[in-house]
Amino acid sequence: MKKFAFGYFAGITTALMVWGYYQAIYVAPLDAMQGEIFRIIFYHVPSASVAFLFFAVSLAGSIGYLSFRRNRLEWAQVSDAWALAGAEVGVVFCSVVLTTGPLWGRRAWGIWWTWDARLTTTLVLWLIYVSYLLLRRFAAGPQVQTLAAVLGIFGALDVPIVYMSNRWWRTQHPAPVFGGGEGSGMDPVMVHALLWNMLAWLAWGLLILALRYHVERQHQRFAAREAQEALDA
Amino acid sequence: MDQRAILDHQFLVAAYAVTWAIQLGYLAWLGFKWKAQKRDAARSAQNSR
Repeated sequence: MKKFAFGYFAGITTALMVWGYYQAIYVAPLDAMQGEIFRIIFYHVPSASVAFLFFAVSLAGSIGYLSFRRNRLEWAQVSDAWALAGAEVGVVFCSVVLTTGPLWGRRAWGIWWTWDARLTTTLVLWLIYVSYLLLRRFAAGPQVQTLAAVLGIFGALDVPIVYMSNRWWRTQHPAPVFGGGEGSGMDPVMVHALLWNMLAWLAWGLLILALRYHVERQHQRFAAREAQEALDA
Repeated sequence: MDQRAILDHQFLVAAYAVTWAIQLGYLAWLGFKWKAQKRDAARSAQNSR
């Protein structure tokens, strides 16, 4: 049943990705100022949104782990698996943002990178979560999950700063297109295409998040069994 | 197509290609990790019998 549901969701995701691509390339009109390069928005913005969402999943998992680690071990392990899955998949999406952004910037601004508030806070966010993953990969001992949870919570504090950075400070990065106040906004056809791509990338993200969670739970069960066997021996 | 439009197109293709390379690369890594884990679990179960 689980396999069927997963296959069904994977099919829907593939259809959404194809439809999103069609909307981005063939339906959305060319931008009057930027021309074709503007179409990077259909991968760049949804990737940033999904990365933020998954860092929030990681935050919830980290808080859950710290809350349950003393009295509900199974719940703590589930929370920890969500925290790790959220952080790792979030880093993947954030990496997409940090590579598509400079490609867009090179054509739109004439530079690959500048140390403005939005770009710098995004890079810091990525570095925090990469250090989270490195901690989990290379540190050993019973406190690793606790330390990682604390780092995950502090890392998530950067998410609202990244989101607000181009509202709080004057940046090279454009002002927000949605919810940016008077004068902001897009052609409705472009908005339509962007929303389809957001949905498609969200579905893709949820698919790989579920896979990552499953792999981590399997790893936890395997590690617990090995530890039990070592105790029994 | 003028030079600017050609360059825009090349950068767009690069951005989309990099996105898919990152996403599919991660998916492939996850698949390998899952398989390796399954193999290790099966080996461990066999050894403990």
